[in-house]
Amino acid sequence: MAEISVALAASHTPGLTGWFDKAPEPERRAVRSAFDAVHDAVATSRTDVLLVIGNDHVGNARVSDYADFTFGLAEEHRGPDEWFKPWLRVEDYALPGASETGRTLYESCLDTGLRLRSTSENLRFDDNLSVPVAMADLASTGVAVVPLLQNCTVPPVPDERACYALGQALGEAIRTQLPEGLRVGLLGSGGLSHEPGGPRYLEIDEKFDRWFLDLLVDGDHERVLTEATFERMEESGSGGTAELLSWLVVMGAIGERPCTSLGYAAVDQWRCGVGAVQWHL
Amino acid sequence: MALNHFNPLLRSNDLVQDLKWDEDLRARFEASEEDVIGSYSLTEDERVAIRERDFRRLYEMGLHPYLLSQLARLIYGTGEKAGTSAAATALIQSLLGEEYERYMASRA
Repeated sequence: MAEISVALAASHTPGLTGWFDKAPEPERRAVRSAFDAVHDAVATSRTDVLLVIGNDHVGNARVSDYADFTFGLAEEHRGPDEWFKPWLRVEDYALPGASETGRTLYESCLDTGLRLRSTSENLRFDDNLSVPVAMADLASTGVAVVPLLQNCTVPPVPDERACYALGQALGEAIRTQLPEGLRVGLLGSGGLSHEPGGPRYLEIDEKFDRWFLDLLVDGDHERVLTEATFERMEESGSGGTAELLSWLVVMGAIGERPCTSLGYAAVDQWRCGVGAVQWHL
Repeated sequence: MALNHFNPLLRSNDLVQDLKWDEDLRARFEASEEDVIGSYSLTEDERVAIRERDFRRLYEMGLHPYLLSQLARLIYGTGEKAGTSAAATALIQSLLGEEYERYMASRA
């Protein structure tokens, strides 16, 4: 009878840590304030374990043998992966894991029909985990982390309803399978619009981003699932915007709750619309 | 859609992943690119495209766009603090071909 202590989502992009200063001051301030709010929400919610759901950027499996979701059950999660260090420019970090919690959640979701994996090895983390860790200073909160890396970009991708259903299974498992008193937080990491490596690499679909954020704040989950589909996300940036599926996992876990936007910025040099939200439990 | 060309069986996908994951292989690639692409069972088309920095051809053959961006970084460098890095602009220039100049001018 554990409970969900906090529910958040925020964008990640290497620009936020690698070249934050390339953005104009108002945008930097908006994003700084959004991640400060994420930090404060994690810290004040007395969260014991934070489940961070984020896109695996083709970083932990062959493209011909790709899981839908991979649960990170390591004792400690170290990052960033060596290859990304010159790009991300974040300090090395080592976050405590929560193997038992992660394993219970993994096992509880096995009958969802999705391709699930778990590993006790350290996963390779790029901006998916490293950016929220750095920008929201998660290490200082002392929270233990279970990374849940998902496939948002290697077809066939588990779509919006599959991701929402996984969230529902996770929520159910948190409420019924984890120890009494444990406080589990949720952080979706990804989006908003971007197209890494595609012809629109330099573009942000600000109109889509603002529509999506408004839709979440409006709070009708059935409408989100009907309108903010995987295909719609792909139209706004192929292979990248669908990282917003991580936000839908969080929504599935908590059900319909009021949602507040913590801020938004569209900065071309960051190559990704950047926003964050918090749901009120 | 950028993912429509993706072919999970294209061996260049494995090559780019290995280059990201294996520092020694990366060093060998920098020192002697030909040796490395020769040691993988790539098609001649793939080898030519890598040699000629023809990202568009690799994209059409099925290299995953994200790995395409990483290949550009492997070739053009990774530490540049900009969205419009040499790696990103070389990639877009190849993808857009003759549309590139007009496209970039329209964004200025």
